[in-house]
Amino acid sequence: MTVPTAPVEEEEAKPKKGWPPTETGLGIIAVILGIIMTILPFLPSFVKAIGLTFVLVWGADSVRKTSRYGLGTGVPSIGVLAVGYGVIGAIAGMGIANVGGDFTIGGVEVLNVGVLGGVALAALIGYISGIFSNSEKFISMKIPGLERGMTELGVAGTLAFLLESSMVAGTLKLSAVLEDVFFSGAIAFMFILSALAMFHPFNACLGPDEDRGRTLLVSFEISGLICIILGIVSIALRGSQSLGLADAVGLILYGIVVWVVFYAKFVRRAFEGAYEVVGTGLIKTVK
Amino acid sequence: MDPIAALLILVCVIVGGLLASLGVHMIPVGGAPAAMGTATGIATGTVQLMFGAALTGLFTASTVATFFETPSPLALVLVALSGAVGAMLMLSFTMLFANMLYVFGAGVVPVSGRVEVDPITKEPQTPYKTPQTDGHGVPNVSYISGWIGAFLGGFGGALMYFVLKNYAFPASLFAELGAADAEMVSAAAAGIAAAGIFVANAILSAYNIGGTIEGFHDPKFKRLPKALISCAVVSALCGLCIIIATWGLSGGGGV
Repeated sequence: MTVPTAPVEEEEAKPKKGWPPTETGLGIIAVILGIIMTILPFLPSFVKAIGLTFVLVWGADSVRKTSRYGLGTGVPSIGVLAVGYGVIGAIAGMGIANVGGDFTIGGVEVLNVGVLGGVALAALIGYISGIFSNSEKFISMKIPGLERGMTELGVAGTLAFLLESSMVAGTLKLSAVLEDVFFSGAIAFMFILSALAMFHPFNACLGPDEDRGRTLLVSFEISGLICIILGIVSIALRGSQSLGLADAVGLILYGIVVWVVFYAKFVRRAFEGAYEVVGTGLIKTVK
Repeated sequence: MDPIAALLILVCVIVGGLLASLGVHMIPVGGAPAAMGTATGIATGTVQLMFGAALTGLFTASTVATFFETPSPLALVLVALSGAVGAMLMLSFTMLFANMLYVFGAGVVPVSGRVEVDPITKEPQTPYKTPQTDGHGVPNVSYISGWIGAFLGGFGGALMYFVLKNYAFPASLFAELGAADAEMVSAAAAGIAAAGIFVANAILSAYNIGGTIEGFHDPKFKRLPKALISCAVVSALCGLCIIIATWGLSGGGGV
């Protein structure tokens, strides 16, 4: 005997203070942090890593809000789309910065606003592909807010690539990045790991009891793992303009702290959401 | 930069994007239902299949490209064809082993759910289909369609790679690194840029087919023109980004 129930509200009506912020709020925080960390390439890697973490979490949030309605091809596709646009936007942005908007004082790159041109281009490509995907005359996916989601993913992908490149190469000059990041093969890690940080949280957590705050914790955790790997990569490469060993070690430490803290938080949230936590006897049960 | 080179980059990126889109519409993708053996196609997503095929194609294409010092029409055709063959090989093995798993593991017959008679071999399909399912495995028509799709996708990806390597990121731009390293930087930049443009087009096309398709005999194949228009526009914008990057890399200046 089943009782028909009223359709469940998709979002809770009153936004709570604290974590998680609203979708727009998170976007504003991530864009501001990401842009500040991107245009100042002289900052140490672990400071840029904070920007990277927020950009990736924002990307994961965008994936969540577009994939919630069912894409038909699985959640990973839209994360890979974001890095596809991201790599094109990042190359174009660094190309623009090669011509203008890059200020160097005494051999140190202090301000690089030229790369923002690439971010704008990626946003444009994302918006136009969003229009094509949603339009009745073309692909007609009929997902509310897909245009905004794809724009955000283009921006998030580009900012993530720019930040990762400047963390490994220590600069955003296209010739140095091509040599340190592309030639070394580090770009392959970045390509798939950035996609992983964006699509994996929702892909792993989706379901009837999905909770936005809990899902986004997974993205923090993966960004910690990315920082560990990028730190090891920058030690191994010792790029021509990289900021030295201490910088790379700082990045690895930041990555480990973020990974451990957010993994523990995620497990605790999962336990809280469960009806009952029982031990199998193999591992000591955490209360 | 040279306006003819810019035009060549733009045209080849658009053609490569269109071929990628066409390729996606022809490979048999089954998605999650195929993983349970209840739909025709390979049991994974379009992105995984097409990206895997295109990357294999890029490996073969970049290997063949090392034999040519200067770009020529013959080099372009050979590099693009080698990319197509690499992609075909990868998809052929995937379809073959998927079929072996379905036949010997799950015990189902490869059969199409969309047509009653195989359009190529004229074999009857409906009697072998389990009721309430959409077919199983990779039947002959889907296998041949998958070959053609992988050929087109690999050809498009390798075409983009060749043009980007020789005109967008030529080794002469990195001459200060030495000849051997300059070649490698040029190849790596072209490969990643080509892969980025390829996945963007492949995913837009995957959205057009809603995630699953059997091949050119599937009714969803008729939606192809919509994806082609979208992919042409998006590829043109991506090509524009690459041209801007090349312009910046060569130090700006008049076009």
